[in-house]
Amino acid sequence: MKENFFRSMTWMHTWVGLLVCWLLYLIFYAGTLSFFRDEITLWNQPALHNVQTTDTRIAQQKSQIIAGVKYLQNVAADSQRWGIYLPTQREPQLNYAYEKPRPEGKRFGGWQEHNIDPSTGQTIAQTRETKGGNFFYRLHFDLHYIDVLTARWIVCLASLFMLVALISGIVIHKRIFKDMFSFRANKGSRSWLDGHNVSSVLALPFHLMITYTGLITLIFMLFPYPAMTAYEDGVRGLFNDVLPTNVRSKSSPESAPLANIEGILDHVYTNWPDADLTQISIRDPNKASATITVRASTGTMLRDQTPTLLFNGVDGSLIAKSATELTNTEVFYDSMTALHTGRLANPLLRWLYFLCGIAGCVMIASGCIMWAKRIRERMKKQQTASFGLKLVEGLNLATLMGLPLATCAFFIANRLLPINVAERADKEILAFFLTWLAVALFALFKRATAQWIQLAWLNAVACIAVVLINALTTDGNIISYLLNGQWALFSVDFLCIIFAGLFVIQAKKIPTRAQPKAQRQSSRRAAKTNLQEQQ
Amino acid sequence: MHELLQFSLCLLAFNCFALAKFNHYREVFKTRPNEKQSKQFLLAAWISILLSLVLSVVQHNGYGALLFCGYIAVSLLVLMIFYSFKASWVKIMSVLNITVIMLSGLFLSVF
Repeated sequence: MKENFFRSMTWMHTWVGLLVCWLLYLIFYAGTLSFFRDEITLWNQPALHNVQTTDTRIAQQKSQIIAGVKYLQNVAADSQRWGIYLPTQREPQLNYAYEKPRPEGKRFGGWQEHNIDPSTGQTIAQTRETKGGNFFYRLHFDLHYIDVLTARWIVCLASLFMLVALISGIVIHKRIFKDMFSFRANKGSRSWLDGHNVSSVLALPFHLMITYTGLITLIFMLFPYPAMTAYEDGVRGLFNDVLPTNVRSKSSPESAPLANIEGILDHVYTNWPDADLTQISIRDPNKASATITVRASTGTMLRDQTPTLLFNGVDGSLIAKSATELTNTEVFYDSMTALHTGRLANPLLRWLYFLCGIAGCVMIASGCIMWAKRIRERMKKQQTASFGLKLVEGLNLATLMGLPLATCAFFIANRLLPINVAERADKEILAFFLTWLAVALFALFKRATAQWIQLAWLNAVACIAVVLINALTTDGNIISYLLNGQWALFSVDFLCIIFAGLFVIQAKKIPTRAQPKAQRQSSRRAAKTNLQEQQ
Repeated sequence: MHELLQFSLCLLAFNCFALAKFNHYREVFKTRPNEKQSKQFLLAAWISILLSLVLSVVQHNGYGALLFCGYIAVSLLVLMIFYSFKASWVKIMSVLNITVIMLSGLFLSVF
């Protein structure tokens, strides 16, 4: 135990942060990209680039649903699930989907999708198989290549560490208001500390909110005991009780005609006259156990659970309806989830979320770099680096420079892989992880300043390559997106250029030669002062 | 226009908080602030930040509070860049900031 409270908190902040910083960086990085999940998915689907949202979007919904049911009845009458996904502001295409036959032993056969341009009513050909932004969304809390439940436990533990690091960071940052606007450049580890402080303080409410609400979203996995005490089937029983529209009845093999969808829609519009519907899900169509679920948008309300109506798919009667008046506990849980996912955000708030997410990435990155820098500065001339220091430096290089490069590889693979290649979406993801693995192996052998510069240049080239390859392999490019007001596509290309510029600045700013002795001493002195200030 | 006014007020508030500090005031005006000036800046900062918060919440309810947190982040980032790299530009930035507040306020009150 350290001798005083501030020293204990500093020690805790350092070690709690350092232990999970690389995983936290991945979580923050993927989470930040997930705020633009739909936009990334759109960018990954060049066939949908020219689909425009129509002014009569909501007015067209009823006819689109009726046409959808007719289409699905013709092409997939035997399927176990149908889905009609209506155009939204962020996803302008109309999508009719049905589940493909389930392979033996599998619970889901995958979706067969049929995309339609809502303004022309024409089928959109040649959509490519891609996970798009959903890959980053899932990576954010399910990680990849490991069991989902294990991954969520790991992510929760990392989030808990993050929360502890944030609170202890506030406690030890004595000059939180004095240094609010200060960033002293070219001062060795002092600059890293300033960068760490500024990126933490400028989005502190966001960091606290996103970490806390992140834990809340998985609270029933972390702490299922109250539900297990109150309900025989635990958390499932609780959710069935709170969300009656989610209750699933057993599938029946008995055939029965599907209820008239127009009658159901009349019921929907009587309940919600101005509804902006988002999706219709039909389970077991043409069977006695058929159900029809209708979901509407929550708009900019601080609510995550969408307004839902559940109908019997045979007689068209209403089975369940989502609650309009929530209890205080439900409001708390629901609004916390809504705050975390940011699905409620309009473009302005979405960009603010994104900016704060970037600040979070900078905060984590500067924290882990600063630790290694300080140890290096304290080392004597003849002293060799310990295994721990080498490990931290290697992980820093692999994670901080590897992830952006892997993301570029993911986007480039999306454009260069043949459209009809088998398991295409998985191959894009494989490109992401192979690139990251290559950077990790590179960092395993060499992790000096020169490698940071090389990877910064490589990242800059990769970011530019994304924009160029997109322009060469699709009908559009960054200029046409700008002129046509295709802001989602323009933003992806524009951000690539911005990040390319930042990587060039990084490559140029990293000192290539050994610092002069005087400068080295001054940065050592600065590091010592920082340490004293923090203590 | 509402959002522009709310953000400009937030930026002004944090600019005033910064100018209430001895070191930042000296970087911008090359003189020391007296205690009265510091207090005036603090008062202006609190009024401005509360106004920004109230306008955000009145217009968007809970959603406005979220926007307000975002405005804080952007304001701090902008001010950090100015005070750390271009302190001499703070005066021009402040004038622009106040002009935007007045114009957007005028626009909203007329239309």
